[in-house]
Formats: sequence, structure tokens, C-alpha cells
Amino acid sequence: MQRKENETPQGQAASVLVEFLEVAITAVVFLKGVYPSGFLLPSLDSPSSMPFLFFFFFFLLLLLLLLLLLLLLLLLFDVGKGAFERRRYMNVVVQRARHPQLRYYIHATVSGLLPFLQKGMVDRVAVVFFNTDNVPLEKFIFKLTVNQSYGSSVEGVDLQISLRSFLAKLSVSESLTKKLPPDCRWEITGNFQLLPETGTSKEANFWIPTDTKQWEQPLFITPIRSMSSDPLCLQFYIEHPSLSESSVL
Amino acid sequence: MDSRLSNSSSSTHHSNSKKRKKNATANNTNQKTLGVAWGSKSLSASSCSSRKSPFSDFSSYMAHKNCKLQNQFDSEASASAARKPIFSGVSIFVDGFTVPSSQELRGYMLKYDGRFENYFSRHCVTHIICSNLPDSKVKNIRAFSAGLPVVKPTWILDSIAANRLLSWVPYQLEQVASNQPKLSAFFTLKSSKMSEDTFTNALCQVEPDVQDSFPRVGQLKERHPSEVGEMVEVCRQISNESNDISSKKTDVFMMEEPIGERVICDEEKLAEANSSETNNERNTEGELDPTYQEPSTSFSIPCSDNQNVHQFPSSEATGSSKQCHSTLTDPNFVENYFKNSRLHFIGTWRQRYRKRFPTLSTGLNNGISNSNKSDIKSVILHVDMDCFFVSVVIRNKPALFDKPVAVCHSNNSKGTSEISSANYPARSYGIRAGMFVRDAKALCPHLVTFPYNFEAYEEAVSCDEAFLDFTDAMVEDPELLASSIRKEIYETTRCTASAGIGGNMLMARIATRTAKPNGQCYITPERVDDHLNQLPVDALPGIGYVLQEKLKKQSVNTCGQLRMISKNSLQKEYGMKTGEMLWNYSRGIDYRSVGIIQECKSIGADVNWGVRFRDMKDCEHFLINLCKEVSLRLQCCGVQGRTFTLKIKKRRKDADEPAKFMGCGDCENLSHSVTIPLATENVEILQRIVKQLLGCFYIDVKEIRGIGLHVSRLENADTSKQEKYTLKSWLTSGSASVEKQKYHMGHNKHNSDCANCASSHGCIHSQGSSFQIDNKILNIHVSGDPISTPPPLCQLDVEVIRNLPSEVFSELNEIYGGKLIDFIAKGKGKCESSSSLGNSLEDDATCKEEDLPYSDPIPLNQIFSENKAMQHERVLGSGHGSCSQVTHNSNIERDDLLPSSLSQIDASVLQQIPEDLKAVILEHLPAHRAQDFCSTPAICPGRINQDSVGVDTSKNCPGTVNHALNDSLWAGNLPSWMDKFKDSSCLRKLGEIYHRSGFNSQLSSVLPQFLSEFHHLDLTQEIYDETVNIMCELLKQYVKVKIERDIEEIYICFRLLKRFAVKSQFFSRVYNDIFPFLQAAVDDNYGGSLFMP
Repeated sequence: MQRKENETPQGQAASVLVEFLEVAITAVVFLKGVYPSGFLLPSLDSPSSMPFLFFFFFFLLLLLLLLLLLLLLLLLFDVGKGAFERRRYMNVVVQRARHPQLRYYIHATVSGLLPFLQKGMVDRVAVVFFNTDNVPLEKFIFKLTVNQSYGSSVEGVDLQISLRSFLAKLSVSESLTKKLPPDCRWEITGNFQLLPETGTSKEANFWIPTDTKQWEQPLFITPIRSMSSDPLCLQFYIEHPSLSESSVL
Repeated sequence: MDSRLSNSSSSTHHSNSKKRKKNATANNTNQKTLGVAWGSKSLSASSCSSRKSPFSDFSSYMAHKNCKLQNQFDSEASASAARKPIFSGVSIFVDGFTVPSSQELRGYMLKYDGRFENYFSRHCVTHIICSNLPDSKVKNIRAFSAGLPVVKPTWILDSIAANRLLSWVPYQLEQVASNQPKLSAFFTLKSSKMSEDTFTNALCQVEPDVQDSFPRVGQLKERHPSEVGEMVEVCRQISNESNDISSKKTDVFMMEEPIGERVICDEEKLAEANSSETNNERNTEGELDPTYQEPSTSFSIPCSDNQNVHQFPSSEATGSSKQCHSTLTDPNFVENYFKNSRLHFIGTWRQRYRKRFPTLSTGLNNGISNSNKSDIKSVILHVDMDCFFVSVVIRNKPALFDKPVAVCHSNNSKGTSEISSANYPARSYGIRAGMFVRDAKALCPHLVTFPYNFEAYEEAVSCDEAFLDFTDAMVEDPELLASSIRKEIYETTRCTASAGIGGNMLMARIATRTAKPNGQCYITPERVDDHLNQLPVDALPGIGYVLQEKLKKQSVNTCGQLRMISKNSLQKEYGMKTGEMLWNYSRGIDYRSVGIIQECKSIGADVNWGVRFRDMKDCEHFLINLCKEVSLRLQCCGVQGRTFTLKIKKRRKDADEPAKFMGCGDCENLSHSVTIPLATENVEILQRIVKQLLGCFYIDVKEIRGIGLHVSRLENADTSKQEKYTLKSWLTSGSASVEKQKYHMGHNKHNSDCANCASSHGCIHSQGSSFQIDNKILNIHVSGDPISTPPPLCQLDVEVIRNLPSEVFSELNEIYGGKLIDFIAKGKGKCESSSSLGNSLEDDATCKEEDLPYSDPIPLNQIFSENKAMQHERVLGSGHGSCSQVTHNSNIERDDLLPSSLSQIDASVLQQIPEDLKAVILEHLPAHRAQDFCSTPAICPGRINQDSVGVDTSKNCPGTVNHALNDSLWAGNLPSWMDKFKDSSCLRKLGEIYHRSGFNSQLSSVLPQFLSEFHHLDLTQEIYDETVNIMCELLKQYVKVKIERDIEEIYICFRLLKRFAVKSQFFSRVYNDIFPFLQAAVDDNYGGSLFMP
């Protein structure tokens, strides 16, 4: 959270943004429930003891209690989303991936964006969900504009508070999204305004052009949240194809 | 969970017993935990419980958890190297959302040797950190913080930056630290100053909410001996009046009345007060001081919430033989109730007194006594009649002088009527005021009781107590003067009086107490200490039953003991004000000066006796009467209120019929209140509000035992006195005052009718066509003499006339001899033919010539001087007539800080001032002034200088330059569409709403309100193609402005629009017209179309 004083406002905004994006992308992945997990796994790392299985009488009681426990777990942890654990970010309850690889992927991708964000080269960052045929089903898009001409200093706190509202809104916008089929895949893509020249820096090599299939049909947009507070303007919306079920209305 | 089972069933596991012990020790810390955290921490909680030893209950679990958290914290703290002990000894608890977050704060605490508590505990926590508190917690700050400092998180950050522990005091949360004076208080100060009270009716009652211990009975200032004479004159009147009446009363007394016919009164307040407060002055005197405020009774009694409980005396006083006991039988119950209520009589005597001696009370000079206080020892004399009620009755019956006599309602020895006053022989039998007659009779079988004679007291002004300030009189011997006064009183009235002399009002009163009966006492400053030392605490005014009990618990019985306690601990224990009062009083300090006139804060009426309803109709009828009463009282005091509170006493479910006949018995007290934007005292509005409020209770009317209506947030409506202030008062209190003035004058039926309807509209639906009517009233009002002929036709606003209710219109038409219809037709034609703003401009221009006060604006730049230059430029640039007038008038009206209308406010200034200030300013400009802005372009500099505004603002906010120049309609801080489209009624409304919500708010926030209002506007007017086009254009431009940066806003707007398109034809047309454009715009920017479910 500590930031250096000598950074440009764009740099400050970008570093706040990167942090935010990491959380927000995790939240999106969590929201879509791509990572179902074992039934009783959530956050209980110690297995329960077994010695009283021998007592039949107790066994019956135990069964009863187990049932209760299951109910409790169902209520508390929303079974199936056990790949995440609850954390606090900017005092909002958010999720964090438990699997180190997943965590790393999100973290590395987003921090790879940092230099480009500072330069204002990134147009949008998308979290794309594909079905088994690699056809995108839904895109969560963060459209960013970092005002390069903005001169005065950034009030990091104000920015955080406005970004906070994104997370709050996101957590209640599950109804806006579509249910994903099983076995889907997802990735993070970034749309750059111009291609970074390869070889200029380490980070530039990090990015490869994607060949993500584009939708044939006109797509629909459902805005979730917009924010405009200099030097950062951020819009968050969902893109989905006008497939039969959604476009009926 | 699993292990829990195993533990409880068998104690084979050895380790468990150990853990249990640990639990027990943890329990001993006796922590007060807040259960709130359970939900958010549930994960860790449950995982913890499944792993760890069992917990017998939640508290032991929490104790354990706290213990664990502390251990965790300690281990983490010891792990972090190189700590600087900045916060050693500090233990914080973070409440709610803070910046930096609680986790960061915890990190700092770890690093700098502080402690961090996850759960609040009075014993561990030393500071509470929070950035914001909900209102409920602020109100009850002591319960929330348990007296701990509530500090902003910056305290920690700054302390770290300074590398030492800073004092937390400057970082105290503002909400808690002080009740900062609000801008509103600043604005209203002036208007309250203007309140030169004239009381037009004797029957008004004022209840000041401020607790004040001394009744300021005598506002006499002892400067000339003639004034003493005046007081004696009062007493002489008493004697004269009661001479003839008491003879009448003896007849009454002799009459044998049937038991059932007797009216028994409800005096629960008095009863409770007196039974509990043995040392209450009233009690020792055994008589009822007809004092205006008796704080010890009205504030410290546990059950009687400081309402006035009125009694219903026997109807001899009214002279009618008909006895009506309850709301059921008496159609004029409310009226009679208050006519016969003794407490009401007492409560309102001050107004009567003031009316009688207007010169005396207004001639008071408080300044002198205040300024002299420091160097001259002030001397206050307190004169109090001895058992006034009884004395008046018996002074013509020498035979009764040494007999026990009491005044009460009923002579029936079984009666439950309370004795209100008893003379000294009666007191020696142990009879006290507030006793039931039957108890008194048991104590003293030959007690003679007399009924009240209100007329006697009423005519005599019933002042039985007075404070006189001798300070300036330079009297050599105050005792001599006191005895001469007493002598004169006795000679003229044949009633005895006691006098007390002291250095201040407190001491004078205490002196009187010792002097009674029929004596006098002078407590010199040197003797104050001795005298107070032995004085029981409850002899001090302001200490009632509750406070006395509290003090007793601390084993404080006398003032001497009270003095041992430090001021700080008193304030901590009893609150700031009470604590200070106790501290001061126990030392005989009293800063109040004689004769301060208190402003009343609320006015109301309660009826808690005889209230029984059969059905809703009864209840409504009763409420109507109650409203009349309250309205009357408001009118007497010349005020109007904005907040209306309806209090209801509801019979408790298990309560029996009360012991007191027709009393209220055991009741729940319920209340609801509502605040309206325009102050009023109008009966009809009151009735409507009250009906609405009653609806909120969802109560069976049969259960109602008492009803009270109170009006607060009073505004002074008395404008008749100062003709030159009419505009000003209109500006400060809204059009209501105009209405009120008319209403009062009552000469012109048309005017008052019109005004009534206007204010009722204004209050019930605070927006809507009423603004136009208000405006119209202004028109009528300011055109010279308000009671003379109606204004010339040319001054009438067509728009307004058209929107008037049909009855009013027809009446108006009559007055104008039928010309009005033609006028309307003509106006309509004009309106339709010319789409420009020409005609209204013209109209206003003509109005202006006669209408001087109408164009009397005060620019905002008086407040915001930094903007003066800009304003000046504008004045020069425009060269418009009204603008020069602006500057001219500004010199005259310099003392009025409120700008006359919103149009006078420079939006760019408004934008730069802080949010809260802005809100206050917007709130204090009555909404209808926004209407001015729209309908009277002639005095609207914003419109005239539209272009310059645009340039100015773009200079001020570089961020908005780009889109401000791109489109025309949304440019500037005051979007130009508001002026451009103001002749279209529907968009004008949108403009108003937009205005009200501040300038920078987004369309989506004002749209719902507009749409809902437009919905019924739609029904009365045809849809104009033009309006649709304008609306479309407006939305198009808005889309253009917002599409790039705020798609969410667009989305919200259009979903709202779509929703309303179903209901309204107009909006469906607008929606259909604009939708393709929207989708195209979205497609351009986002490569897709907006998904509208």
C-alpha cells in the first residue's frame, strides 16, 4: 500500500489500478464459479478425528451432527467455491485464489500490464470465458483511460474509495451474467492501443498476440460500473453475444 | 463439532481439562464483547471451534478467541523487529470503514508497540478509531464509546510521522468533538431576532424545550418604585376580582352534587411530581406556583414525558350545567378541556401577562445587568405569595384562617381528585399538593375544600411569584425594601407573601424557601456557603426525582456532599449540562439574569384525560379539534412550524381501566413526526398532516388513551409589525409568511383563500404546480398594499392562473369580472404562437415597473467576496437594468446574507465550496426560488450572461473543457438547456428538479423524480411534438457527453426511460425516437449495442 512520493500521477493511478485489477479479476473468476472444488474441502485443512466410529451409539449421534455441520458449511461457504478464501481489500470482503498457480497467473498478468498502463497504452483488459470449442461466451471488460495530461497529484484514498464501489457492485451482479456450461476455460487478454515493440523491455516480451475468435453476431453490452476520477477513467461492463436465449427479450 | 461431542461425553482426553481451566481464567477477564463480528468472522470462528476445545457458551468462546487473538498479536509483534514504542500503552479498537484500513492500522500497532483489539472491551481498549459514525451512535456516544476517546485514524498516521505519541484531542472525531454551529443556525439567527412577540390571544401555550430551572415569573426590573407599585396593583386586582367570585364559589361549595356528575381530573404529572419530590418548593408551600416552567416536574419525572397533562375541572368554572366527561359525549371536548385545565392555565399565564404589560416586558434591558455583573454585586429579590390558591379563596373568610383548607376539584371524600394547594394549617396534617382528596380527608376529616375559580386567577393575572433585580437600584438595605413590598402586598391583597434575597436567582429562591411562610430571608454572599452546606440536594431547582435517586446512590444527600465531587466526574456521570449545573448550583452559582425572554421551541397540546373513541370517525373529529387548538396557539405566538409530532398514549395490553376516572392509566407512548418544507400554522394542513400521521400508527382507536400534537422547528411568521421587512421575512421563511400575513389580516377573502390553497399544496406535495401559485401570491402580495384591490391583469402569470384549482380560478375570475378567461385564452395563444421566451420576458418587464420589491435581489457575492470581481465583470458586461439594481440594492440589504433566489448564486462559486456548505445553502433557499430562476429571466444574470458563464466555468475546471464546448445544451455549470427550454412546462419542471438536487448531479438521479411527476402532468396536457423533440435533443446531447466516460449512467437513464415508456405515451415516443441513436453511439464507442432487458 505504501507508494513512493516521486511517482507521476499516472504512475500512482496505475499502481492502484493494478492492485485493483488483480482483486477484481479474481472476483470475476470467483463469481463465475469456474473452479468448483471438493465437497467438504473449504478451508478446513485439518481432518477431523475418527476414534469414536467404534461406538455405535455415538455414531448415530455423530451422523446427526455431521448433517448439521454439512448444512452449516453449505450455508457458510457456498460449497463449490472452495478454491477461494475470504480476504479483505479496501475493507470489502473479496476472494483470493488459494491455488498458487492461479494466484500467480492473475498476479503476473496484471503486473505485466503496469508499464503499459502508466503510458496509457492499454485500452481495455478483458476476462474472457470460453466454452470447450474455444468460442468466447462472455467477456468482462475493463475499459481504461489514463489521462496523460493530468498534472496534479493523485489522492490515492479517493481513488481507492471509488474503486471499492466496483467490487461492491460486482459482488451483487451475478444475475447479470449468464450461467457457464461445465468445462469452460478462461483467460485474461489486454487490448493495446498500439502493439508494444518487442525487445524493448522484459515486460513487452511477456505479451503475445492472441487469436481469440471474435463473435460473428453483434454483441450486447451490460454496463456494471463506471468511474471517472482524474487521471483515471474506468468502465466495467460485460459483453456477450446476442445468442438466442439472451436476445429473445 | 466432532470433538465437542467427544469431550462432553467422555473425559478421557487429558488435555481437555487443562483447556477448560484456561477457559475459566479467560472468563475472568470479563470482557464485554460485541456480537456483531460473528458474521464476518464466521469462517475463522467455526474452523476454530471445530479444532479447539469445547466452549460452554458463547461468552467463553469469545473469551477464548480474544485470548487467542492476543497471543497471535503478541507473537507477531515480537516477530517484527526494530519496534519503536510510540504507542506503548495504547490499545485501539477500529470501528467501521477507515482509511487506512483496520488491517493497516493493526500493522502499525504491531510495529510501534501498540495493541489492537478485534473486539471492543471497555477494559482493554484505550482509543476507538473511526472515520465516520452513524447518527445513532453519535447521539448515544456514551453508550457506544463507554467514555473512551473516539479518534480519527490520522492520529495514528501523524503520530508515526512525528515519531512520538501525539495528543489525540485535535484528532477527535468532529461529530463527537463539538456540535459545530451549522450555517443554518447562522442564517436563522437573524430571523429569530426579528421576533418581536405580540400575542394576540390569551389562550396560547408555550413549552420551551430548554431546561431552565427558574421560572422567570417576574420580568419586572426594579428600577423605579412605581414598578413595585405596579406589581402591587396586580395583587390588588386579585383581591378585587376574587371578592365577588368567592362569594359565588361558596354557593357552589354548599351545593351537593351527585357523585357521578363530578368531574375528576387527571393530574398525574403533578401527583407524581409531588409524591416523589418532597422538597419541591411547591410542596413546602403547599400551593401551586402558577409558574410558567417548573423544570423539576417537567423534566425529571420518570413516567410523565414532559407533556402537559391537563385536567378537566368541574364545569362550575364555565358555568354550564352540562357535564361532559369524555371525547365520546362532548363535541367540543378539546375546547372545554383546555378551557378548564388548570395546568394549561398556569402554562399560559405568561403570555397573558406579557400582553397586559407589553411595555414592561419589552422595555427590559438585559444588557445592563449583564455588563454590570462583574463589578457590582447583584442583589435579587424573590417574592412569592404564600399558598396562593388557597389564600385568594379564604382571605374573605376570617373564620377559616386557622382551619385546614385545600383547593381541589371535588369535595367528595372518596374522590380521586388531587389537591392542588393547601394552606399551612392543612399542611401540618401532612396534606400535600397532589394528594387524592380521599387520602387528605382521611388525614384530616374536617378539611375544607374549595373548587378552583379560574376567572379570579385569570383576571388577576395570577402572578404569585416574582424576581426583582435590585442591582441597579442601589438600595441600601434590601431587607427593608423587601419588607415594605411584603407589607404593601398584604395591605392591598390581604394575602401574605414571602421574600428571599440573594446574590442571584438561585440564592433568592432558596432564601424564599427558608423564609416561608410569611417571612423573609437574606442570604448574603458570605453566608452562601453555610447555607448551602446543609441544604438537601433536591432543594436545588433542576434536581428531580431521578437525579436525586442517582445522587443518593452515590450517598450524596446535601449540597455540601455534592461539592466534594469534582466537576469533571459530575459531567462524566450526568452529562455535560447537568453536571455543570450541579456543580454550579451546589456552589450557589447561577449566571442567569432576571427577565430573559425565552424563545419557544415547540408548541403543542396534549389531551390525556377522557380520551375514548368508538371508531375512526370519533377520532378524526377529535383530531380536527386538536388541530384547531394547536393552530390557534401557533397563531397566538405568531409562529409557524415545520415539524409535526403526533404522540399517542396507547393502552397497554394488560392494563385495566385506570384508577382515575377517565384517566389514561398505564400506557405506551408512541409518536410519529413529519417535517414539511414550508412552515405553516394552517388548520387544514395540520389536519391533513395529523391524519396522515395517525395512519402511521396502525392502531386501534379504541386503545387510544391520549393524544398530543406538537409543532416544532418554529419559524417566526409575525410580519405584520414591520412592513419594511416583508420581503426579507418572505425570503427567510418562504412564501408561508406571506400566506400567514394574509391569513391574519383576513380582509380579503380571495387572497386568503388563494394563500391557503397555495400553502397546502406547497406542503403536501412539496413540488409541483404549487410553486407557481406561490409565485403568484408574491405577485399579489407585493403589488402595493396587500389588502387592497387585486393586482392588475398584466401582472398575472398565465401559467399560474391556468394551473390554479378550478374553485380558486372561478373565484378569481369573479373578482376580475370575468376578464380572466379572456386573459388566459390570450396567454395561451401567445404561448403557442411564440416558442421563444419573448412573452414572459415582456410580461416580467411590465411587472417590474410597479413591482419594486419583486426585483430586489441580493447577490451571493456578498458572502463569497473572492468572487466579487467576476460578478462585477458580469454586471458591466451585461448592462442589463436589473443588474445595476442588483448592485444598488446590495448596499441597502447588506445585512441579509441569504441571496434572494438561486439564480443569484454563481454556480461556479457554489461548485467550489465544500459539499456540506453547498447542501445547506441549497436547502435554505426555498425550492420555489428555483422557479424564479426559470420563470423570471429578467432578474437572472446567469441566463443573460450565459456565454460568459460558460467561459468562466471552463476556466475553472479544465477537466470539463472538452465536452463543455462540444455541445451546447449541457455546457456550463448551469446547463444551458434549462434556460433554453424553460417555456416548455415539462422541461421547466425537470430544470427545477435538477436545480434542487444541486448542479453537478447526474441525470439518472433526477430522472426518476421527474418521470414520476411528469406522469400526472401528462394527463392534463396534450403531448406536444415539440416537447418530444426537445426531450430527445436533450437526451441525445446527454448521451454524447456521457457515452465515452460513463456508460453506466447512460444505461441507468435509459432503463428508467424504458420503464416509464410502458406507462406514458410521451416517454414511449421519446424512447423510440432516441433508442436508435443511443445504440449507434454505443456501437461507435464500444463495438456493440446496449443490452436492454
